Amino acid sequence: MKNTTKIQVLSFALLLSMTFTSNLFSKDKEMSNKKVIMKISEDPIVAYNIWFKVGSANDPKGKEGLANLTAQLMADAATTKNTYSAILEQLYPMATAYGTKVDKEMTTFQGRVHKDNITKYNELFLDAILNPAFNEDDFNRVKNNTLNFIKNELRYSSDEELGKFSLYNFVFDGTPYEHIMAGTVEGIESITLQDVKEFHKNYFNKNNYVIGLGGGFSDNLVETVQSRLDKLADLKTNTKVDIKPKSIDGLEVLIVEKENNSTAISFGFPIDVLRGDDDFFALALFSSWFGEHRNQSSHLFQVIRGERGLNYGDYAYIERFLNGGSLSKPDPNNARHNQLFEVWLRPVQHKHRHFALRAAMRELKMVVDNGMTEQEFETTKNFLNKYSIHWAATTSERLGYQVDSEFYGVKDGGNYINYFRERIKNLTLAQVNNAIKKHIQYNNVKFAMITSDAESFKKDLVNNTPSPIEYDSPKPEEVYEADKAISTFKLNFKADKVKIVPVDKMFQK
Amino acid sequence: MIKNIIALAVGIFALSSISLMSADNVFPYKYDVNTLENGLKIITVPMPSNGIVSYYTLVQTGSRDEYEVGKTGFAHFFEHMMFRGTKKYPGTVYDSLIISIGADGNAYTTDDYTAYHLNLANEDLDLVMELESDRFQNLSYPEADFKTESGAVYGEYRKNITDPGNVIWEKLKFTAFDKHTYKHSTIGFEDDIKAMPTLYEYSKEFHSRYYRPENCILFIAGDIKTSDILAKAKKYYSSWKRGYVTPKIQTEPAQTTPRSASVSYDGKTNPMLGIGYKTSAFDAKSKSSVARELIGDLAFGSNSELYKNLYLKEQKVQYISPYFPQNRDPFLSIIFTMVNDANDIKYVENEIQKSVDWFQKNLVDKKKLGDLKKRQKYGFLMGLDTPSNLTEGLARTVAITGGIKAIEDYFKTLDSLTPQDIQNEAKKMNASQRTVIELKGTK
Repeated sequence: MKNTTKIQVLSFALLLSMTFTSNLFSKDKEMSNKKVIMKISEDPIVAYNIWFKVGSANDPKGKEGLANLTAQLMADAATTKNTYSAILEQLYPMATAYGTKVDKEMTTFQGRVHKDNITKYNELFLDAILNPAFNEDDFNRVKNNTLNFIKNELRYSSDEELGKFSLYNFVFDGTPYEHIMAGTVEGIESITLQDVKEFHKNYFNKNNYVIGLGGGFSDNLVETVQSRLDKLADLKTNTKVDIKPKSIDGLEVLIVEKENNSTAISFGFPIDVLRGDDDFFALALFSSWFGEHRNQSSHLFQVIRGERGLNYGDYAYIERFLNGGSLSKPDPNNARHNQLFEVWLRPVQHKHRHFALRAAMRELKMVVDNGMTEQEFETTKNFLNKYSIHWAATTSERLGYQVDSEFYGVKDGGNYINYFRERIKNLTLAQVNNAIKKHIQYNNVKFAMITSDAESFKKDLVNNTPSPIEYDSPKPEEVYEADKAISTFKLNFKADKVKIVPVDKMFQK
Repeated sequence: MIKNIIALAVGIFALSSISLMSADNVFPYKYDVNTLENGLKIITVPMPSNGIVSYYTLVQTGSRDEYEVGKTGFAHFFEHMMFRGTKKYPGTVYDSLIISIGADGNAYTTDDYTAYHLNLANEDLDLVMELESDRFQNLSYPEADFKTESGAVYGEYRKNITDPGNVIWEKLKFTAFDKHTYKHSTIGFEDDIKAMPTLYEYSKEFHSRYYRPENCILFIAGDIKTSDILAKAKKYYSSWKRGYVTPKIQTEPAQTTPRSASVSYDGKTNPMLGIGYKTSAFDAKSKSSVARELIGDLAFGSNSELYKNLYLKEQKVQYISPYFPQNRDPFLSIIFTMVNDANDIKYVENEIQKSVDWFQKNLVDKKKLGDLKKRQKYGFLMGLDTPSNLTEGLARTVAITGGIKAIEDYFKTLDSLTPQDIQNEAKKMNASQRTVIELKGTK
């Protein structure tokens, strides 16, 4: 009873913010482009989010990385009016910038500025989209930085991110999703400035954008932005991509081999559920209970870190969560029409890799076989209903969510977080357990693991070698009991389904 | 409802009036500072936020306070232990209560302080203050939990060390300092981390020494009433006993000659340079201290000549990143960069010093300085848009100065700075104060 009262109070508080929100979709048939407008007159800040329906899935074969390179050369380089130095100089006193985020199917240009500076900022922001200079110097710089990111940073400086990207490439092998947004080394190397110019013209056209604006702007800003963006090329380019991931045959493993001190583990499989679908909310509740990102309340976290101290954290997702190593909450604008159920175990010592993998798969099996309990369900429902209000505190974040709602076609009345909470509140345990049964399984799964001495790990996996564990400190009796079951938990890995790839081959072509 | 809408409108409007602001009131919200009899300071910043509250407990102890041999990394490790509960609310009960209110809570440790933070709905303040006051006073965990948690900390270390940025950071601190505890990074030396499971008794001592009311600050922003917070603070925190023991941190002797070292990174990376200059401690009223921070931006930021030459024009580097932090004790002003071609390392190092030399010999353009002052203010204001952004953004200044007044002092000092002040400060960045670290990958 007490909880119900609290929830009502909070909903009321959030509704308040809606007073300042109006979601005006263009009714003019001449204009094919939609707008996501979130006006908050009293807000001193104006947030921009211009979305183009293009992403790395539209990269031509052999030119993987072209969408990203093009967008970076718009957001992080000269225009025909200003050198890049001059742009930075003008942005400097406003303490702001603009940037781009390129995902599989969407590219957004984002920024925020104090409304004192809106006129000048607006000019710079739109100029970047409309009139990129695409000069040789900027091209070489951005290309070189991107290659460095793949060859050095991604392959060597964060095994966690490497593991997650490897998993996605593995699952979507053979589809336009099969390469990371930054591209492949050979793809990037083959891109010319002429490719970039053509890609810009074809994809960043006047029929392919959605304007997102939030905060305290004046009414004519929307018109100004639209009339300027309508000067983009009047082309109709098909950006739709066909993604049909190969069906997974049992347990398939990609071991990325490198010399390292710990093993990073990611695993998952495609799910046919997107934000807005009825089952989405049921699965959101399940994955929150199973592994809420960076939250010690989650079940996997408790089993692997809380009780056993094997690593720094263990999480589960039903939507791609980028930069999970550094962000504590999801960052909007990587909406996709194809998602995975994904489990991420942060690095464990090599001697615990087999045990940790078994522990996670055993937990997955148990919840799929038995479902969630009434108590777990109620606790998570209460948690998520309130926790989700922290996902979009700023105008920019809320605007980002509304752009995503436009992508997914969620009819949320202009406030996705509020809508999400309503849907969570109305769930029943039966709905959640049915959704788990329908979409979550443990027999056909892909694994990506970053580790050294890969052959011996492969042998252990294929032979189901027991992986007993010892601790430096005594544990409760139930932990020892569970460990017996975990250390011999049978997983049906087959030798021909375990491939080993040296790290330097990853993201090469 | 109407009342709330007005409050929201007025509150946000306060932020929008930068052009009318004087240096006297850059901070757009009214705040209150109160201190309980036991010395616990409470800073409240009421601001409209749709019922959301950011609740920080700042402990003015960080890795700086780890002065005993073999105990590096302990402040951070201890931060983990704070989630292991008390007799009244064991860790799992604490977790389940936090889950029940959907609060977003976590903690972090730095060189100078440790922060425990929660984002919550204001109707849950009573419960949160009860839980937080309980764990700060009555922390209690069995040795087995302590050992288990040390495994998680070692996991965190192993995860971090795959990043060459962390490797060069460790080496820079280690080389630049001889006596002061800034010699080690916050996560600690690996050998000390490995030995942590044996330090159960010491962990109790650590709590008893530093987790005391006169060493802590409650920093709370959002939809709150100060009187309400104070009443609750008296109820829950008054029983907390004083007893802070000052750590015996040695003063770092003056550096007299240049230092340098190289370090290898077990992986593949472009070479990196980390160059640090010894500096004085942060003082918001000191022109020298504030001028130093500005040099980071003027000489190495995105509007600097060096950035335009090395990064944009010549493309010798992947980035140049100045890090001129505010610290409680004299620390470093640092420039990190990643060089594209190993043959250019010396060239880049010289160009960085040349940029410092320029500021020693020349007066910075007044417009450029004016632009930077504007940037500082807009950057500050734009970072105050939610309670958690406000508390997060100000936590360091509040923790190392023990209050919030330093914010006002800082902007007053900033307003008064002239090109001459910048030049005077740049002159202190000479080679004898410098430590240069070169990092190369092994693959």
